[in-house]
Amino acid sequence: MPRTRGLMLQIATGDARPISKQIVDGVRMKIATAELVPGDQLPSVRGLAQQLTINPNTVAKAYAELTAEGWLESRQGLGLFVATPRQRLSDGERDRRMDEAISAFVHEVAALDYPPERALSRLDRALQVLSRKTA
Amino acid sequence: MADTDYVIETRALTRRYGDKLALDTLDLAIAAGHIHAIVGANGAGKSTLFRILLGFLPPSSGSARILGRDSQRLTPSDRGRIGFVNEEHTLPSWMRVSAVTAMQRHQYPRWNQAAFDEVIGHYHVLPQQKVGQLSRGERAGFNLALTLAQGPELLVLDEPTLGLDVVAKRAFLESLMYSSAAESCTVVYCSHQMEEIERVADNLIILERGRLAHMSAPDEFCGRVTHWIADMPFAGPPPASVPGLLEVQRIDGLHHYLVLDQDEGFAGFLRGAGARTVQSMPVSLDRAVNGFLAKNHAMPVAA
Repeated sequence: MPRTRGLMLQIATGDARPISKQIVDGVRMKIATAELVPGDQLPSVRGLAQQLTINPNTVAKAYAELTAEGWLESRQGLGLFVATPRQRLSDGERDRRMDEAISAFVHEVAALDYPPERALSRLDRALQVLSRKTA
Repeated sequence: MADTDYVIETRALTRRYGDKLALDTLDLAIAAGHIHAIVGANGAGKSTLFRILLGFLPPSSGSARILGRDSQRLTPSDRGRIGFVNEEHTLPSWMRVSAVTAMQRHQYPRWNQAAFDEVIGHYHVLPQQKVGQLSRGERAGFNLALTLAQGPELLVLDEPTLGLDVVAKRAFLESLMYSSAAESCTVVYCSHQMEEIERVADNLIILERGRLAHMSAPDEFCGRVTHWIADMPFAGPPPASVPGLLEVQRIDGLHHYLVLDQDEGFAGFLRGAGARTVQSMPVSLDRAVNGFLAKNHAMPVAA
């Protein structure tokens, strides 16, 4: 079940950043620091507007930007939630798994007594699937 | 129908007081929906504009339409569709709150009691109190409640929160932004308080000397203005040669420029003028509007 949480957010008028940008930055920071986690529900547009005493359209604009960037996702009829990030692993964990995969591959290639240049060119070809996907 | 897309539409609207032009061939079209803030220096023509729009004052020339009607030929039913709140919150001081309410209820066929109750609930206003006994903030709240209860399609507010304390001001803004009665109407709001405009306005309209100087979302306007700090060895370039100049100041030997519509090319201009270092930063809405309005003021030569 999604959890509804208060959004502890401050905005300041008289700042060079427009209020909608302050909301975007604030929510992103909370997600980055895991103060907000995937599945957490955000306040309604009207609710956050009232909390901050600002125009609801300003909140709607910030939420639209956060949704477009993939930080939030809307669930039909339920509201807005912190999205599951596409890259779920930490950088360290990602590197560790990559090392593991390379090491396994090298050990296999070594056992086949396959020339490294040919192994590399075949690997290069195989990896082109990925570059197509991310292009 | 072009007429009904705009709640306010003026064409070449001019109002002359003797030799002075309060409105100078003003072309202004305010779209239906949203909250529009009008700002301008004193004497920019805001009050004259409102007086003409509400039919209290005839134009010298040009035309003004409000809710699609000629502002000089408003019928009582047209007026019922327009709510007006002025800064003085002028209400008959000798009457009791209940009597004023009854009078307004009688006068407006679309009277919405729920809207009245919702707004007045923010204030400690008792029906038996005389209007003259209410504080300024209570009178403002009462006035807004009366106006929203008439079910207007257009709400015109002239400096409505002037002189209100922080609590009354917040209650006023909340009623304006979140009450169900205000939701369905277009709000045209005149204020000098940028802090409030930043919170409230979808659209920013700047009047200058009776003409329209700018209209866009507040953020967009902010984005047009940048603040540059340059270390100039001498007096710096003559102000007339500085592109987009709004304001220049010399502080602690550094030149501060507030400029309009300048991109990174402005750094090149400053370097070409002899700047040793150049920095730039965005500005707040308050600073941007202030600089914009100050542009035409006489500026002493930097010491």
